[in-house]
Amino acid sequence: MDSLVTANIRQRPVRSLVSAAGVALGVALVMLFTGLARGMSDEMHRRSSNVLAEIIFTRPGSMELTSSMTNLSVKYVERLQAIEGVESAVPVIRYVSQGGKGFGFEQIEGVDWEPFSRMNNIALIEGRAPAANDEIVIDTTKAQNGNYKPGGVLQLFGGKPYRVVGIYAPESGARIKMSLAAMQDALESPGKCTYILVKCKQGYDQVAVAKNIDASPTTSGNKIQFTRDVFVNIEKSIPYLNVFLRVLVGLAAVVSALVVMLAMYTTITERTREIGILKAMGASRGYIISEIEKEAILISLLGLVAGFIAAFIAGILVQRLYGLSFEIAWSWALAAAAIGLLGGALGALYPAMRAANLDPVSALAYE
Amino acid sequence: MRTILKAENLKKVYRVGRVDVHALRGVSLEVQEGEFLAIMGPSGCGKSTMLHLLGGLLTPTEGRIIIDDEDLTAASDAKRTDIRRRKIGFVFQRFNLFPTLTAEGNLRLAERIHDDGGDDPERRREVLRLLRLEDKMHHKPTELSGGEQQRVALARAVVTHPAIVLADEPTGNLDTENSAIVLNMFQELNYRFNQTIIMITHNPEAAAMCRRIVQMRDGLIVEPPGGVQM
Ligand SMILES: Nc1ncnc2c1ncn2[C@@H]1O[C@H](COP(=O)(O)OP(=O)(O)O)[C@@H](O)[C@H]1O
Ligand SMILES: [Mg+2]
Repeated sequence: MDSLVTANIRQRPVRSLVSAAGVALGVALVMLFTGLARGMSDEMHRRSSNVLAEIIFTRPGSMELTSSMTNLSVKYVERLQAIEGVESAVPVIRYVSQGGKGFGFEQIEGVDWEPFSRMNNIALIEGRAPAANDEIVIDTTKAQNGNYKPGGVLQLFGGKPYRVVGIYAPESGARIKMSLAAMQDALESPGKCTYILVKCKQGYDQVAVAKNIDASPTTSGNKIQFTRDVFVNIEKSIPYLNVFLRVLVGLAAVVSALVVMLAMYTTITERTREIGILKAMGASRGYIISEIEKEAILISLLGLVAGFIAAFIAGILVQRLYGLSFEIAWSWALAAAAIGLLGGALGALYPAMRAANLDPVSALAYE
Repeated sequence: MRTILKAENLKKVYRVGRVDVHALRGVSLEVQEGEFLAIMGPSGCGKSTMLHLLGGLLTPTEGRIIIDDEDLTAASDAKRTDIRRRKIGFVFQRFNLFPTLTAEGNLRLAERIHDDGGDDPERRREVLRLLRLEDKMHHKPTELSGGEQQRVALARAVVTHPAIVLADEPTGNLDTENSAIVLNMFQELNYRFNQTIIMITHNPEAAAMCRRIVQMRDGLIVEPPGGVQM
């Protein structure tokens, strides 16, 4: 490595570290947010793939994964069960609340345990099904992350205590479940649910069954979605997630560029005379620009590595402390790397050009 | 003998606001290969301007400079830099070493700029022996005396085989003893390597070591047109 470049970096360790930290911040932000988004959507995907019902029946209007509407009457359950090809219909209330520790969001479902567990092939591995209005069951992941056992207490709906009475596996839908009646009571919507899961009889095609539902006068006029479609597009169903991530990446690039620009700008002012000496020694403009760029890129590289490490540690901490999934999205990691380096290189370009354009005689006279 | 530098009717006018400062008013000079030339004259008479023109750090307002058969005045900015890189070694009054690099690092930097990557260990050994710097190579400039720093600067200037060394008051910051040592080394370089040197100095003893002295006054060479031949 070029000794002038490394000597300059070592000469001003604080400046080098602060500018590397600026790059690291941008890179870490991108990595952390994309990692959390990826983790969240992977987790939802995994959980939803254990929903064995083929059809989701809701009121007209889009079903957002983040909505907590309870506007569908449970009377539809009987009507759906009467339709040809339907094996079972199970009403679900889904409630999405701000996460217990103020970060992310938590889902709670109200279901009648017996039909729901039968439909989706899940089973209690400890304790029993929820019965009373203040009882809940949780899945094994929730139990592990929060270190909950049957008998433990969880606060839901902004502080109401709920007792864990059972733990089930595998994960399916929301990690916390209570009885449908308990949820209706908590949300003050008796006789209502968010959606109804419909499972088809063996030998029946789900598209045909959906047509039957739509054609039947008792159930027509509502929204019929296939589970496979709803859950494939989870990333799209979190509104503007990708736009948000792109904006974040853009901001990270700007931050890197500005930090490196500022650092290199002060550096060349400080080293004006040295640039004069380089010129007296016959260094070309290209040589001077490349020396400054090398320094900036080396600093950015340091920042990049630090940012990756910081994001990784932060991701693990978030996972441990908040039970959120974190999964490094390698395509975004690549983007973050490119942006850290590119931002640094572009930020250094203006100071580098200024340095290359200095008049050698006045640079040599600079105090 | 071969003419290595030829300057014809050099004029340099600095514009300071609305005022024109005529720093050089028509200077002509010829230097032969292997010459050791002193330029003397009162402060402000245009010596440094002249040296900067000869090294391509400035362009003359008028006149022509030929160095080692290359026309410096007709060259573009990039070309002038290139000629400077290949043909000129500068030595300054304030040493101008890179403070973050060791003596060795300063030399290597010069070699790298001069000639991408290809260094000449033989030349470096010779120069270091001549300037008695072998045991100073791993010191930073702040760990060296002024005389030692100027010897490193001199080594840095000559390690790349320049056609001409241009020195602007190289002993101006040194005490008598160190001045004598550094001047001796200029003389050695001139004698052993047949190094062409143009040196600005205020010091008559320094000038006395040179084979030829050119006196300047008010932007002109005054005595004699060809310089005093010793
Ligand atoms: N960059 C400049 N701008 C304006 N005037 C200058 C500049 N450099 C030198 N001069 C003037 O040119 C004259 C010659 O200066 P210089 O070549 O430095 O003389 P010397 O080296 O003999 O002391 C002086 O009058 C000086 O003030
Ligand atoms: Mg001067």
